[in-house]
Amino acid sequence: MRIRTIALLFLLFGILAVFSLAYAQNAPEASERGKEVYENSCAHCHGVEGRGDGSAAENLLPKPRDFTRGLYKIRSTEAGQLPTDQDLFDIITEGMPGSSMPEWETALSTNDRWEVVAYIKTFYDGFKENENPPKQITLEGKISYSPESVDIGKELYVELGCVECHGNVGRGDGTSAPTLTDSWGFQTWPANLTQGWTFRGGPDTEDIFKRFIGGIAGSPMPAFEGDSFLNFGLTSEESKRLIELENKDEMTEAEEEESGKFYEKMDAAVDIALTIKEGGEVSAAEIQTYNDAMKIVYEKSWHLANYVKSLMPEKQPEPAIGNNVLRSQYVQGELPDFDDPTWETFKARYFPLVGQVVIEPRQFNPTIDGVHVKSFYNDTEVAFLFVWDDRTHTTADETDETTGKPLEDALAVQFPVKVPQGPTAPKPYFLWGGRLPVYLWHWKASMPEQVTELTAKGINNAEAQEVQGELEVKSDYTDGQYKLWVKRALKTEDKKDLQLDTGVFVPIAFSAWDGSNGDVDTKLTMTSWYTFVLEPVPSSRRFIYPPLIALLSIGLLFGLRAFVQRRNTEEV
Amino acid sequence: MKKLSLFTICLIILIGSWVFLEFVVGGVISVPIPNSVIAMYMGLIVIAILVHISVEDSQFREFLRPIHETLVDDRRRIRRRVLVVLIPVFLLFYSFLIFAQRANPPGSPRDAHPSPPLELTYKDEVIGTMQDVVNPYRHYQKDDPEAFKAHVENGRRVYHQNCFYCHGDHLDGQGHFAPYLQPLPANFQDPGIIPNFQESFFFWRIAKGGPGLPAAGTPWDSAMPIWEDHLTKEEIWDVILFLSEYTGYQPRTFGEAH
Repeated sequence: MRIRTIALLFLLFGILAVFSLAYAQNAPEASERGKEVYENSCAHCHGVEGRGDGSAAENLLPKPRDFTRGLYKIRSTEAGQLPTDQDLFDIITEGMPGSSMPEWETALSTNDRWEVVAYIKTFYDGFKENENPPKQITLEGKISYSPESVDIGKELYVELGCVECHGNVGRGDGTSAPTLTDSWGFQTWPANLTQGWTFRGGPDTEDIFKRFIGGIAGSPMPAFEGDSFLNFGLTSEESKRLIELENKDEMTEAEEEESGKFYEKMDAAVDIALTIKEGGEVSAAEIQTYNDAMKIVYEKSWHLANYVKSLMPEKQPEPAIGNNVLRSQYVQGELPDFDDPTWETFKARYFPLVGQVVIEPRQFNPTIDGVHVKSFYNDTEVAFLFVWDDRTHTTADETDETTGKPLEDALAVQFPVKVPQGPTAPKPYFLWGGRLPVYLWHWKASMPEQVTELTAKGINNAEAQEVQGELEVKSDYTDGQYKLWVKRALKTEDKKDLQLDTGVFVPIAFSAWDGSNGDVDTKLTMTSWYTFVLEPVPSSRRFIYPPLIALLSIGLLFGLRAFVQRRNTEEV
Repeated sequence: MKKLSLFTICLIILIGSWVFLEFVVGGVISVPIPNSVIAMYMGLIVIAILVHISVEDSQFREFLRPIHETLVDDRRRIRRRVLVVLIPVFLLFYSFLIFAQRANPPGSPRDAHPSPPLELTYKDEVIGTMQDVVNPYRHYQKDDPEAFKAHVENGRRVYHQNCFYCHGDHLDGQGHFAPYLQPLPANFQDPGIIPNFQESFFFWRIAKGGPGLPAAGTPWDSAMPIWEDHLTKEEIWDVILFLSEYTGYQPRTFGEAH
């Protein structure tokens, strides 16, 4: 009996082992079928010849990959290596979040996806020449997530210079962020690390770790390898000591000597790393030195990956659609001010923005993903807090080449002038009205304490109202994030203003401009209509009627019993 | 085993029917049934039960017997006490939930098949009546396959330069802008879309976009642009050819005999 169980277990493990081996597949030889699928499904972006120059490419950012240079962003392989076939297959299958590359799992059969992998490899000769399989990144020695690891990662984030592109808290707003270009010369923005759902290769700690070790080929993101890693060849303590020494204004002779030794050690390690990279001969001792140095790089990468993971919420916030509307909460007395901690007490509604592609000039590549909104109201006023990420603070310092207008960051909040009555009543056209007018609050980064009230009958037909109401405005830009606070009276004298009543569902929409992305006039990001309501104070009826109903039911039950009893005695 | 009382049987039928409608029909067999429809069926079942028990006097008395006993019979004392607590507690909580409910915005009804105007126009130029206009390049499909292919390829270009942001690489209405639009962009892979309309209908929807929807098509929430502002007539006809070629669905026709 026992022997049979053991035999069965062995068989089971055997099958599992075969399956796991089969999992990492290789692509078949390139075939006509692969070409056919590629030309029907991929060529419109990646180009018939794989140069990333299909008809759709012009209006896309990030640009579709040019397959002719063998540079692949998302790989499980070490820096400078080609991707595995499985890597290519996985990207085609799952798509790349935050870009226009969709998943192809639903549209193409498994077989066709493998055929495409084989076909795109024909665009780059390196795949043929390279007979050795690419070196894969090992995930052994993973340091699991812990507050301690996050703290170490946080220090490394500053030491390694991540801040310069990705910004203090990771919103991709570092000082060099606007200057970055990829290997093809196209502009590229550093990832906003607080938005894991836009990571092309996925938001898991392992995914992030692989990007460190393997780099993101073709992008300015460096790989953490021997000749580029900070203080390569030093232990963590030595590295810390060296940074400490370098930060001193003046070094003593002993200290000079100490730092000199560190540099010698580092140079030796980098030399070995370069020799190994170029395929030169190295001694066993040198390999040992290199492996020891790399072990530290791997450890640091895990800590850093844990830190990056700690920057993002678990999942993308849900858009405010359906019953998930923006509800303004009632407070008695003064409304919370701009920096009042009361704002932190409830969750913002999230309004995702898309490019405006209806009216020329259009915005096909928006950089503002969405706006988070909260609101409070009291008996006479309503206050809003709008929060959105923008990598750059642009305040009309530059002008747009084509229109000559100043480029600056801005936000517009749109309401209808009159709230449509009933579900079938038409709303104004979502893009700044049309036949029916809309009422807008237009805020610009160059005038951070002011909102202009507009009335519009179309996006090119907006006018500042003659009577500018008394809106109180405060705003702030810190670490890649705007915060805008607006307060207005519920009722105004101006007939062109929206008048607000408790419990009335009001359409609301947003437009946003990112000056550094060339947003000006109709080139903007926007939402269609969502819903806003001054949430009525829950009436006290809920504490009065239910107990009454319960009491009444007890009375009825006893009444019924008395009635039946009396009839029984009468019958008897 | 004790025979079930008539009252218990009726109760079982009532609860059983509700479970059947709500979970079996509205879950396993088909999509969820609206509450109002379930209420209608349940009403009919209640009436049927009432008719059944009230046909004969003895039957009715038999039905009432357990209620009667629960109310006055001393042997049912425990059941009585339990019920006199449970019923008010249930009502208390249930009515509290109803009174504490938040108001939700009215749903917006949407005309999925807006009725087109009688005449098909491009900008101000009248092309013909909606029913008679055909795609001027459709006939190449038989007459000149090479020319047809060129038109489809042009349609493919137009699609990927203008439409795929919302309608998607797969033509399934799931482009990278789509998740944030209400209503969602049309899904051309849905068998209910392309085969149900003539090509002139698609020309009208593309040329006039959301703002061109008839008054009955309100609320005007569609984000579909007015494409006659950006595309030529030929480009619109070509992109329609591409939609049907890529999905394999043929638009409706009225046949050559007419």
